[in-house]
Amino acid sequence: MLAWIPGLPLAAFAVLILVGRRLGRASAWVSVAALASSAFLTLQLTPHVLDGQRLAVSWRWLSATDPAWFLGLAVDRLSWVMLVLVTVIGTLITIYSIGYMQDDARFSRFFAYLSLFCAAMLGLVMANHFVLLYACWELVGLCSYLLISFWFEKPEAARAGRKAFLTTRVGDTGLLIGILALWVTAGQLHLGRLEEIRTFFVLRDQTWWLTIISTLIFLGAVGKSAQIPLHVWLPDAMEGPTPVSALIHAATMVAAGVYLVARTLPLFTPESLRLVLWIGLATHLFAGTVALTMTDIKRVLAYSTISQLGLMMTALGLGAASSAMFHLSTHAFFKALLFMAAGSVIHATHRQDLRELGGLGRHLPWTRALFLIAALSMGGFPLLSGFWSKDAILLSAREHAPWLMWTLLGGAAVTAGYIFRLYLRCFHGSPVASGCGTPHDSPAVMILPMAALGLGAAFAGFAGPGVFHVHGGLDVPMLISSSVALSIGVTLAFAVGLKRRVLVPAVLRPLGTKLYRLAANKYYVDEAYQRWIIGPFLDATAWLSRFDRRIIDGAVDAAGLGGWRIGQWKERFDRVVIDGIVNGIALVTRSIGHVVRRAQTGVIHHYLFWVVAASVMLMLWIRAVSA
Amino acid sequence: MAPHPLLFTSCALVALGVYGILTRRNAIGILLAIELILNAASLNFILFGRWVGGVDGQAFAIFVIALAACEAAVGLAIIMGLYRTAKTVLADEVNLLKG
Repeated sequence: MLAWIPGLPLAAFAVLILVGRRLGRASAWVSVAALASSAFLTLQLTPHVLDGQRLAVSWRWLSATDPAWFLGLAVDRLSWVMLVLVTVIGTLITIYSIGYMQDDARFSRFFAYLSLFCAAMLGLVMANHFVLLYACWELVGLCSYLLISFWFEKPEAARAGRKAFLTTRVGDTGLLIGILALWVTAGQLHLGRLEEIRTFFVLRDQTWWLTIISTLIFLGAVGKSAQIPLHVWLPDAMEGPTPVSALIHAATMVAAGVYLVARTLPLFTPESLRLVLWIGLATHLFAGTVALTMTDIKRVLAYSTISQLGLMMTALGLGAASSAMFHLSTHAFFKALLFMAAGSVIHATHRQDLRELGGLGRHLPWTRALFLIAALSMGGFPLLSGFWSKDAILLSAREHAPWLMWTLLGGAAVTAGYIFRLYLRCFHGSPVASGCGTPHDSPAVMILPMAALGLGAAFAGFAGPGVFHVHGGLDVPMLISSSVALSIGVTLAFAVGLKRRVLVPAVLRPLGTKLYRLAANKYYVDEAYQRWIIGPFLDATAWLSRFDRRIIDGAVDAAGLGGWRIGQWKERFDRVVIDGIVNGIALVTRSIGHVVRRAQTGVIHHYLFWVVAASVMLMLWIRAVSA
Repeated sequence: MAPHPLLFTSCALVALGVYGILTRRNAIGILLAIELILNAASLNFILFGRWVGGVDGQAFAIFVIALAACEAAVGLAIIMGLYRTAKTVLADEVNLLKG
């Protein structure tokens, strides 16, 4: 029964990849049906999971080892949350894609990949064993590559896919080493026995092993969840189709890292948690400021996702896994909605640069309303879902240290700032002359899934106390301070982003310009990578290639030349000596034959003469001997 | 022991046969000469058979006669074949065995 949940999308993938071409338009509905059935099955598990049960199914996988390895699927509260997100949001995004991808030449292929992506993610969150988790983890990486570079005719898309794959690869290697280290030291890779593993190390006074292993696991999460310093792939991943961005940002790819840390939280020691906290916090602030300066709609959203993932990592670093998962869930709803709305804008105008957009609110009323809901939710407008989850994290931060709470409130203001800058520049202000007529709202097949997500973005927060066991009631000081942060952000977005007021005093203006330039260039991270890592790497490969060409090829060529020379010599020997002997024998035989053949006249009398003559000679000889 | 007078006869027959083989141009003539040599051999078998005793010599003589008949048949057939292909029965004009 549990195996059906990832099994159905996997089957949809198999069907679509094999006969998708023949199915044509219907292939999308295969994908939708599979995911919707998975969602249905997941929702059926709800009462059991909320009772605190852990449903599991496993089967013997490797019987040569002792004890045998059992791989299997398990659903507890944590996985169940992820299952709901992946199946429900995945279904909605797949439906939306029907509209978005309608004219694409590789229509069915797209849905095949989407199904595989969801199947891999479902397998990942249900895996009860590190090995199965890692396999699905890599499958998720593969699917992200396939989907980001789906329009591989564009060189940027192909490059973005490769970048995503290689960058996350760095983290994956860390995860793999971590898993291997865990196997070598503890000999136990079952995800349901993490507490035992922890006890094992604590009893032997080897918690430093836990620090190493959890740091390596976190490295995997850094890659997948686009944390500093491996965040560079996510903004470039915007080259993929917009539904893919929505899926990656909301339900599948980046959620995997947060889920992994939340799942393996028992392995984390205070030291590694501090690392998680600092990386998360740095990512949150760094990406937030970059998002303020981006002009591409999707890039603003990409940096916003990085920033929000940083916030989740911060919560995980505080040990507040439930708050992190809560924010992950609400974020999934409003971020998927934001992407779909952005996709709707792009679909309507064929533009995605903020400098070329404006005043769309009149033409795209539905998109605008839904975008506003998502933006308010993200900014933390009271009682919308983002408010609840952000407050849960802020409360955890307040328990930890007040300065952290104030920093995160600053981050919240930045969040509100960039998202409302985006909203205001897109839907308000003066319309920028566009060359393609009046833009129209998207078709129902795109708007309806967005509306469903809008409900989630607005009301998912009320599930917090029930599902995530986070603090339920309203904390009034927190309500006030986060509302203030939101208002500051929105006001600044209105004044600076839309009305272009210059608020910085003249004295500080050069410094402000410098800071702006720093953020607009994404803190030169890509350039640093290019200069310090990719450049030297390419130099090294060029050097190795020269080495290969000169030394190795030289040696091979010399060996070849020597062989050729020896061969030539042997050929001469063969021709002169061996052939000479053979031909000589033949020549001798031939000349003897030439002489002897004269005796064979063919005339019978000559032969008889020789017979008689020989007989006479023989007789005479016998006579001479016997005498 | 004095040789039997008929041994001279067989010697003469062999000599005549060899002479005939060597001098005759006609293949049929050569065949007849061979018959002479065979008959000389038969005569020798009988003569030495008498000297040794028993009937072995005579049996061989009869065997030789039968053989000679076969040989004549085969030989004549060859000559017929020869005539068909070479249009001649003169042995010195045929040199199929020339190397």
